[in-house]
Amino acid sequence: MVAHVLRLRLALLLGAFRGDPQKVTRGVVGGLLLLAATVAACWALLGVQESSTAAVAAITIFCGATLTLAFALAPIVAAVTDPLDPRRFRVFALAPDPLAGTLALAGLFSVPVLGLVALAVCAAVVWVAAGATVISAIIAAIIGVATCVLFARVALGVAGIIFGDRRSRELSGLLLVAVLVIVVPVGVFLASLDWRGTVPGPLQQVVDILSFTPIGAAWAFPLLFTRGDASGLLALIIALATVVALGFAWLALVRHFLSSIEKPLTTRERGGLGWFSVVPGTPGGAVAARSLVYWLRDRRYLVNTLVIPVAAVATVVPLLIAGVPANVAALVPILFVALFFGWLPHNDLAYDSTAIWMHVASGLRGLPDRVGRLVPILVIAIPVLAIGIPVSVALHGRWAIAPAIVGVCASLFFSGLGLSSIASAASPYPVTPPGESPFQQPQRTGSSGAVSQALVMLGALAVSAPSLWWTWLALTRTIEAASLALWVGFATGLGVLVVGVAIGAAVFTRRTGRIMEFAEAS
Amino acid sequence: MTAVDGVPVDPALESALESIAASETRDEVDEAVAPEVDDAVAPEVHETEPVEVAVADDSATAEEPAPAPALVLRDIRKSFGDLQALDGISLEVPVGSFYGIVGPNGAGKTTTLSIIAGLLRADSGEITIAGVDAAAKPLAAKRLMGVLPDRFRTFDRLTGRQLLYYYGALRGLPPAEVERRTIDLARAFDLTESLGRVVSDYSAGMSKKIMLAGALIHSPRVLVLDEPFEAVDPVSSAAILDILHAYVAHGGTVILSSHGMELVERVCSRVAVIVAGSLVAEGTIDEVRGESSLEERFVELVGGAGELEGLEWLHTFSD
Repeated sequence: MVAHVLRLRLALLLGAFRGDPQKVTRGVVGGLLLLAATVAACWALLGVQESSTAAVAAITIFCGATLTLAFALAPIVAAVTDPLDPRRFRVFALAPDPLAGTLALAGLFSVPVLGLVALAVCAAVVWVAAGATVISAIIAAIIGVATCVLFARVALGVAGIIFGDRRSRELSGLLLVAVLVIVVPVGVFLASLDWRGTVPGPLQQVVDILSFTPIGAAWAFPLLFTRGDASGLLALIIALATVVALGFAWLALVRHFLSSIEKPLTTRERGGLGWFSVVPGTPGGAVAARSLVYWLRDRRYLVNTLVIPVAAVATVVPLLIAGVPANVAALVPILFVALFFGWLPHNDLAYDSTAIWMHVASGLRGLPDRVGRLVPILVIAIPVLAIGIPVSVALHGRWAIAPAIVGVCASLFFSGLGLSSIASAASPYPVTPPGESPFQQPQRTGSSGAVSQALVMLGALAVSAPSLWWTWLALTRTIEAASLALWVGFATGLGVLVVGVAIGAAVFTRRTGRIMEFAEAS
Repeated sequence: MTAVDGVPVDPALESALESIAASETRDEVDEAVAPEVDDAVAPEVHETEPVEVAVADDSATAEEPAPAPALVLRDIRKSFGDLQALDGISLEVPVGSFYGIVGPNGAGKTTTLSIIAGLLRADSGEITIAGVDAAAKPLAAKRLMGVLPDRFRTFDRLTGRQLLYYYGALRGLPPAEVERRTIDLARAFDLTESLGRVVSDYSAGMSKKIMLAGALIHSPRVLVLDEPFEAVDPVSSAAILDILHAYVAHGGTVILSSHGMELVERVCSRVAVIVAGSLVAEGTIDEVRGESSLEERFVELVGGAGELEGLEWLHTFSD
């Protein structure tokens, strides 16, 4: 059986070169890119041989752990269909345990894994050069590769169980954003570290922790052994335990797949639901999905978000001209971005125009309406802030200020959302009707629009005053105030959000008649 | 059971509707799954209503010992600024009737229907939907109704499938149930091919149909339809009529507005004539029209054809 499956695996690999020319081109280009990346990485890795042992350890452990994590997460994010899915072997009545072994072995024969093997070999060479024994280096490389392959197998299986056929483009997009939210800040943090010849302190701490985690232990133990204490043995044990645990998990998955059949798919018809298949099937979830569709498809929302980069840039220039030091001015735009994100949905309801009758006639309660409408802005704003804050802090130059900035942004953003939830239910004002040019503004009578715009923005600033104050203290006097700003910021922001959504929900439920009259009038 | 205009009801369609129109048990399941919907009120609603007993019985919805009427309006008044839109409307719609509200343009038909549907709040007066006081328990009353407004937009950037899902999810139906009903409704309304398209690309008739399907998705007791046949081609309106007839035959109540007298006369069992915000006639079609046709009677009630005086210049041509 082993030979059969391996031959099948090879045939599948070669099959990538057959068929639709476009697909083949894409595959070839992807493969070449991967090859180039591998060569570059190997070359860079072999280049660190001259560095100190500590630097070699730090680099190999960090990169190894990152790669392992990538192998574990990629199958979940990328929604790949596994050609060697154990479920496909269900009809052949094979014994599960040998099949699990065979499929794990066949998992070695894929283009990414070949790149990984090349990297592992280079790492082993570097370890030996840095003083590790040859035998430990070889064992580490083997364990490292095995860990990655098994992680990928198990992740594929688990993804299959969790998501089933519900994998949609939307879900993959969300997961990819989630990965970016983690990767970019880490990358910015690393890039901003001071590398002069030694391993920077913060990175050393991270590496020390990674060395004893399932994802980092395999890459850590050869050089830990050179220290002569028990840490090497501990890392080796963790690495071996990881492989064994993953092996058992894979075995259990294969057994599960071979001995069970999926429920007759009620999800078969879910195709074509887009965001609606990602959210929970509650009224609030449906409102969230509908809002997401509109945020991404309706140009009026897009034009609104344009205010954010403009505001970010426009606020820095005068500050710089006025002589504010550049490292302080670097922190200002992200605060405005957070403020404007919180302010954006303050008139959300008006964009529905008369279609809001659906919510009214269905007897939708206020809470699902309010919460659902906040989902798209959270999906958009949180990644932007998660990327923007580290970049700002890196430009500022002092990482100790980061907690304070996070706190102020949380306070501005969340309290803005809370106040917006009240404003959009209590006093919507006319906007461009659906389908018309977003740059064309409707006739507005009275000043209700300006009032609610100003109230939401000033209100968010007012409740954020405490965290702003402590951030200022952290900047000018004592850096200890930064953590205070963090907690105060989160507390006020989330507090105002909860209260605001509750009030907004009550207002919505109470005022449905008025809301319809507004929708008809505008 | 066969349609009044001689189009026999398609049996497949009828069975599809049967599954949608009238299952008390499924309603209860829905409540169990979606506790969000007024749990304090809902059981009471079902207790006070012996309606569904009659549902499976095709023959004699009219002769049942009268249950709570599907709709009671008492002295409804509504003004927009200085304009008195409704001036004390009172009417009663029995369960299982096909009820038409007619009137000239601007008479207050849409306002009446919006108030019934809970989209507008009356200045004064009482509304009772199938025994539920709409002012005291608006959410419970709204659960009993399916609504098709006339001039309002819908969320037309969604595809047909998404829109129907949205209708169902807003009503608190579980996703699997919504998807099942979506398939049934799409088949009944001949929209299966169009479910993947964005609703803003639909023709006027198709939008009407998908919105009507959405109004039916939670199997309401009362359907409130504002001008359901406006901009709908004859083939589609025959199909819609079939569906509505099947719905009424299974115990549902349809309240619709129209200014097509001939259609109302043909389809409705009862009719109310509203002129300038007041009810001027109400009853079965025969009671209202008397000797003449409904259209003649209507013109008579409204106050004669408009005077032609002052348009003398139109009698000579300018070229």
